[in-house]
Amino acid sequence: MKTPASHALRMALIMVLLSAALFPIYWMVVTSLTSSANLFADRPQMVPDPAQAFNYAETFAKTGVLLWLKNSAIVAIGTMVLSILLAILPAYALSRFRFHGKGVLGFVLFATQMLPEAMLVVPLYAIFAKLLLLDTLGGLILANAAFTVPVITWILKGAIDGVPLEIEEAARIDGCSRLDIVLGIVLPIVAPTLAAASVIAFFHGWNEYVFAQTLILSQELRTASVGLASFVGELSTPIHTVMAIGVMYTLPAVAFYLMVQRYVVAGMTAGSVKG
Amino acid sequence: MASITLNHVAKHFGPKVAIADIDLNVKDGEFLVLLGPSGCGKSTLLRMLAGLETVTSGEIHVGGKRVDQLPPSARDMAFVFQSYALYPHMTVRRNIAFPLIMRQFKWWFHLPVIGGLAKRRIERSPAVSDLVEKTAKTLSLTEMLDRYPRTLSGGQRQRVALGRAMVRQPEVFLMDEPLSNLDAKLRSAMRAEITRLHQRVGGTFVYVTHDQVEAMTMGTRIALMRDGVIQQFGTPREIYTSPANTYVARFIGTPPMNLIEGRIEGNAIRIGEALLPLPARLLAAAQAAKAPSVLLGIRPGALAIGPAGAAGGLAGSVSFVEHVGAESVIAVGLAQARTAHPEEGEVPGEIMVTTSGYSELARGEAVSLSLDLSETVLFSAETGHRLDPGPAFG
Repeated sequence: MKTPASHALRMALIMVLLSAALFPIYWMVVTSLTSSANLFADRPQMVPDPAQAFNYAETFAKTGVLLWLKNSAIVAIGTMVLSILLAILPAYALSRFRFHGKGVLGFVLFATQMLPEAMLVVPLYAIFAKLLLLDTLGGLILANAAFTVPVITWILKGAIDGVPLEIEEAARIDGCSRLDIVLGIVLPIVAPTLAAASVIAFFHGWNEYVFAQTLILSQELRTASVGLASFVGELSTPIHTVMAIGVMYTLPAVAFYLMVQRYVVAGMTAGSVKG
Repeated sequence: MASITLNHVAKHFGPKVAIADIDLNVKDGEFLVLLGPSGCGKSTLLRMLAGLETVTSGEIHVGGKRVDQLPPSARDMAFVFQSYALYPHMTVRRNIAFPLIMRQFKWWFHLPVIGGLAKRRIERSPAVSDLVEKTAKTLSLTEMLDRYPRTLSGGQRQRVALGRAMVRQPEVFLMDEPLSNLDAKLRSAMRAEITRLHQRVGGTFVYVTHDQVEAMTMGTRIALMRDGVIQQFGTPREIYTSPANTYVARFIGTPPMNLIEGRIEGNAIRIGEALLPLPARLLAAAQAAKAPSVLLGIRPGALAIGPAGAAGGLAGSVSFVEHVGAESVIAVGLAQARTAHPEEGEVPGEIMVTTSGYSELARGEAVSLSLDLSETVLFSAETGHRLDPGPAFG
């Protein structure tokens, strides 16, 4: 029974949860627009002060935030593109072909997720040093992709499992090669999952810290996550600058998500087969 | 020319034999129906024809050319799936045009934007668009060309699937139970539509179904299958009037043919108490077989029901009566004679009789059945094979 009271209760609960989730973001924006004097005031400032917008100008001028964001974007987009490219064919193979060691392969892919990044960073460092991949964004993309490819392979495999085999058979009869089927038929059908997988890979690349901190040595190749952390000092931390960078670091990610999320819709296969 | 010849074609899935050594000859322009219960191998055989399944042994020739080693697209066959198998991300227009686009396909069509433009260009070229429009018009799909499959009804989707098959103008059309997902009314309309399509576009059709009404009404010939073996290959009339064995006899017809146990005694057959003189055709066959125990196959319509006690009739009582409009189906439990109906749920000694009009018989009423032996066939009680050459058509 849906009564007005239960509806109101539900809405209230949603508002509470939503506020809890959004408050840190709001607090970040407010802090980034707070004067240094007010930062440690007894009564914290609860509304942003537009007059403090120069905080942002100052951050732009004094820090390498634009460069870091550019590096982060390269790493995130690179991780996303590389992960998707590398995951499509294995996902298709795992879904459609029968071969020896398929179960083991599936498990090994899964097992990679059990290892923490911090554990892999030392051997990766040694390997990257040998391969001259240290201190390159390409190397960082490769390291990130090593983590995202197995996840995305599994996600895509699940989606491809849901594509009716008859559609592929129809395409074979219509003259498609196996690659034509994967690229022209299967991928468009699993597009929503592909979009979701892109979001996962992008955010992994965008947020990643451990590899970026270890494998990147030079200042000009720093990503935003490392750049942001570099402000946290032992003695003092310029909180409003950190928060301003935080806002700038968050906005592109939100924009990317808003752009992609409209593709993350279900029901693409509706109407293809009886069901 | 698109005659289809199967030479000793077999298919094994591991130790399981799906198709056991099939020889079949389908003439150009024929409408062959592969009929049988689920799991009899009819769909597997069709998929082998299409190239979707490999052939374990044997050869398939289409128009004199061996095709069993060719990929599906090189066989010049169109396939209509039971589940329609439309491309959900393409409009009806693109779905129908797709086989034609694939004929001109280049690898770079996979590139975003450029590939899309190239495909659209082919789709809009006069040669392709005319053919698509013409096909859509034939199937009354013109209004729906720019819609997506998800917005169509089941019947419309199946018509799109037919359109995608027709547009290629193939030599051979393969259809795998294309109507079984439709409701009864739509099914009969589509049945007529496919028959018209066959008459209009020509080509050889191979149609898989488990529905004997579809088989009888659409096929020029029927191959009735069971456990990967063709039980009988013939015209619908041959299969109905002269079933090759008791399985075919019981598979075709609603209700199916009655099989009554009998013994040959001199020139007559004894069924229960009754001794009925055999016509020359059946007598010759019975004598040639030299087996006294036979099964008499008789269609429900060849039995006449009369009042109890009639001379030369089989005595029995009415078990139930079903009124199906133009005729009545009457189940009669025979007093003396026995039947050989192996199906589950069959009452021993019960046979079916159909009479035209509304039957006023009541349950339990004693009746007598007279048999028209000129319309019966004899089967060996041992092997189940037909002994006589079957009734002559006239």
